[in-house]
Amino acid sequence: MTIEMQRGSVIVMDRRRGKLRAGQGLLQGLKVVWDHWAGSFRTNDNFSKIHGTFTVEYPDERLPMPQAYRNMPVLLFDDESGHELCTGCYQCQRICPPQVIHITQAKDPVTGKMVPAATEFIIEYDACMSCGFCAEVCPFDSIKMDHVYELSTADRVSLTMRKTQLNRPISYYTGIAPDLWAEAQAGAMKKLQGSIKRRPDVIGLAASLTEKIKARRLELAAAGQVAGGGGQEAGVAPAAPAAKLTPEEKAAKLAAMKAAKQAGGAPAPAEAPVELSPADAKAAKLAAIKAANAAKQAGAAPAEAPVELSPADAKAAKLAAIKAANAAKQAGAVPAPVEVPSTPLDAKAARLAAIKAANAAKQAAEQSNNE
Amino acid sequence: MLKTEELQINIGPQHPSTHGVFRMLVTVDGETVTDLKPVFGYLHRNHEQIAEVNTYLQNMPYTDRLDYFNAMANNQAYAMAVEKMVGIEVPERAEYLRVLMVELTRILNHAGALGFLINDMGAWQTQLAFGMREREKILDLFESVSGARLMCNYFRFGGVARDLPPDFMPRLKDLLVAMPAFVDEMERLLRENEILLQRSEGIGILPKDLALAYSVTGPVLRGSGVAYDIRRAEPYSIYDRLDFDIPVGSVGDVYDRILVRIEEMRQSRRIIEQVIAQLPDAQGGHINPKARQNVRPPVGDVYARVETPKGELGFYLVSDGSSKPYRYKVRAPSFINLTPLGDMCRGYKVADMVVILGSIDIVMGEVDR
Repeated sequence: MTIEMQRGSVIVMDRRRGKLRAGQGLLQGLKVVWDHWAGSFRTNDNFSKIHGTFTVEYPDERLPMPQAYRNMPVLLFDDESGHELCTGCYQCQRICPPQVIHITQAKDPVTGKMVPAATEFIIEYDACMSCGFCAEVCPFDSIKMDHVYELSTADRVSLTMRKTQLNRPISYYTGIAPDLWAEAQAGAMKKLQGSIKRRPDVIGLAASLTEKIKARRLELAAAGQVAGGGGQEAGVAPAAPAAKLTPEEKAAKLAAMKAAKQAGGAPAPAEAPVELSPADAKAAKLAAIKAANAAKQAGAAPAEAPVELSPADAKAAKLAAIKAANAAKQAGAVPAPVEVPSTPLDAKAARLAAIKAANAAKQAAEQSNNE
Repeated sequence: MLKTEELQINIGPQHPSTHGVFRMLVTVDGETVTDLKPVFGYLHRNHEQIAEVNTYLQNMPYTDRLDYFNAMANNQAYAMAVEKMVGIEVPERAEYLRVLMVELTRILNHAGALGFLINDMGAWQTQLAFGMREREKILDLFESVSGARLMCNYFRFGGVARDLPPDFMPRLKDLLVAMPAFVDEMERLLRENEILLQRSEGIGILPKDLALAYSVTGPVLRGSGVAYDIRRAEPYSIYDRLDFDIPVGSVGDVYDRILVRIEEMRQSRRIIEQVIAQLPDAQGGHINPKARQNVRPPVGDVYARVETPKGELGFYLVSDGSSKPYRYKVRAPSFINLTPLGDMCRGYKVADMVVILGSIDIVMGEVDR
């Protein structure tokens, strides 16, 4: 019996269709099971077949993961320069539904101002729900979802991942998801097209992108000079506000201010770079060289010459220093006190570190007892 | 003459056939069930209260965890509720992608549910393994498109998270080739099997009027002979453009529910074929580019419902104008379908009770929330 209605009908299910004799239904079903048993000696490599084995011998062979697969978030850094893409913008921390991301914003130790980098980045893997919102919302394509699924540990504490454990080179991510990375790069370029003039530097982008942006900026500058009739000389225009400084000039100014402060004097008043006194310029250069040397010593040599020092390099130096400290900590040294100014987040991170250290100490004590 | 008396026993909360942590307080007279009280609440996770401290978007992955068999259908209901409240338009292509995913979900849910039902009857693992195999293929597709097998988190306000990967369509077409063979085979295995007929025919009858009185929905209601399907009764998304039939039962016993589920898998396949045919002509992208994800709906309330594989799933949201819902209520089909269990089991044997529970097809994550 069927009732017709618009675009379909109501079918009343027929309860007895076949005219089978007693026992034949069982045999019919047994045939299905038999067919599957007979088919189980072949492997099935196609979705269109229903017989044959689909399974693989798991620890020995693994199925390839689709590119979109998401398990746990990781942080990316540039292969060549070691420059981390994360700027500590807190977008992922805000959107995270179970609130497991904890970021400590990097601060300039001298001026105390925020620097676009994260000194510490903690993700509690044990509470992460793998929703992938952090990777979706990240404006710098810094946080991405990893494909590693063998994460089991004996304790919960080791699932609290710190930045050193989360860092992965970009080449790692392009290895597991080339199409998605290409998409992300294209999206980042598109986003930057409109704001290239405004952005003072290129924090949070891969080296390949920064080169493109530099080229584009030069292009824009050339176009601007043509449009302005060539009457303006760079830096001489009285109306030029501080925001239009190039990164190099800005870095020099910053270094000069730092140097002045270190020397004990009051911070130098904000001046346009052309009006810098020779002594200030010298100090700035000195500070830049010093910073570069420090970066070199820390093991992450900047790819660029010291004269081209930009805030990104300063960041790299700082990061390297932090990395070194972390490495020292891991190597078994007494955990050094956190040097960055204490904020609630820092306090949290410090507490976590303290718990971890205590656990490690406990384990060590147990081991020594056993021995 | 032996003196007998009624005995009250607890079945659950930990019991292999209760599909989760669920307790049945059963009064038995010998082997006959004279009364049964379902007791819920052992899997309470404070879902609705958590939702009130989250932003609207942050709740999307939490809806996956309601009915973890049908994450896509849950996502759809929630996305529809928020879209209705804010007034977000969904592009045509996104609607097709949504329907495609939800119908795949229906197939995988029924493949799994029938497997578990046969498992409860004692045919240990045979049908379950066949059903799980087909389910795995669909989960592979979900993984390639959304990134996860179960907790898909694929829907966004105004569309879906990303478009189909290039290898999705060929694999889906292969799957559709295999699907009729799988459903026919399932029917051959189950439909006329004498043992299954003995265990399911005339067992757990839920009369039409009682089903309506309990506001049961989904295959349980249709098995009782009421042709009620929200996809037809109140067409949402693009269901008014698709041809499909609604299977209903005539008696309302366990056997009718099995037949309805088998037929629904066929109808879902029919819908998917139409979606594949119409998808290339669909306008727009996978998401409305103007749709904001951090929504702030105007003050008011909204109720949106969809037909999930288990029945009517509805989200009732109240907004106070902030970025977080003021009230968030889930009308879960499993929960409401479970309430007539006492009436369905009364007078049957203890072994039948397990089968009747299996035929309702519950997921405790949705019952307790």
